[in-house]
Amino acid sequence: MSRALTDIVLAYKNMDIENLNMPSEKTESKGLLNRTTPATRNLDYSSPAVRVGMQMQTIRKYREQNKNDSV
Amino acid sequence: MIVSNEPSFDAPIPGMSLTHELGARPWQTPAQFSTVDETIEYYMGRMTSEEFIQQLIDVLEMGVPVTTVANTIQLSGVMEGKHSVDTGMLVVPLLMEMMMMLAESAGIEYDSGLEDPDKNKTRKTLLAKYAVQYQRELDKVDLDDMVDDKTESEEEEKEPKGLMARRN
Repeated sequence: MSRALTDIVLAYKNMDIENLNMPSEKTESKGLLNRTTPATRNLDYSSPAVRVGMQMQTIRKYREQNKNDSV
Repeated sequence: MIVSNEPSFDAPIPGMSLTHELGARPWQTPAQFSTVDETIEYYMGRMTSEEFIQQLIDVLEMGVPVTTVANTIQLSGVMEGKHSVDTGMLVVPLLMEMMMMLAESAGIEYDSGLEDPDKNKTRKTLLAKYAVQYQRELDKVDLDDMVDDKTESEEEEKEPKGLMARRN
């Protein structure tokens, strides 16, 4: 595998789109001002990689839906 | 590897790339699409055309990996001055995902190119390394001495077993 293709494979594998919208870990505090709704991870939506990831996620969902329909 | 002794003249001469006027090539001018969103929009427009899908399916059916096709597409985009190399690298995963989706929708078998074909093969360099180590170990040991020692010890160990043998 050539060097350019190795970089592309790494770029694809490192996108980590499965965990893009994962909620952040729940805090253990019990105060009155504690957040009740789970907070999503602080994603920088101005980052190009995140924007690409979001679009990839949409296509991945469609792919999985297609797979499930065909099975 | 066979190395030819004949000189090859079929190569660019040093400095040849500097002989052309700067900015005359598309990739030397500012890119047409400067953001990832614009670039994605450009590629999605092209990739959803019927002609592209048909050609892509033909290429993937021939066994060309998705990674290779995606790299070729983004590289041609750079050469046409559509986007920069950086933007191209950012967009490549999306192109791959889209192409895999199109291939699956068409119901064809394709090679994603994500698996390393040489993963479970023993590297030749590793074999060479062990061969050199083995040779060094062999060089350290003097085989003639070992043979002499062995024969001497065998002679020493032989004890007379006969009835008339001398006993200490």
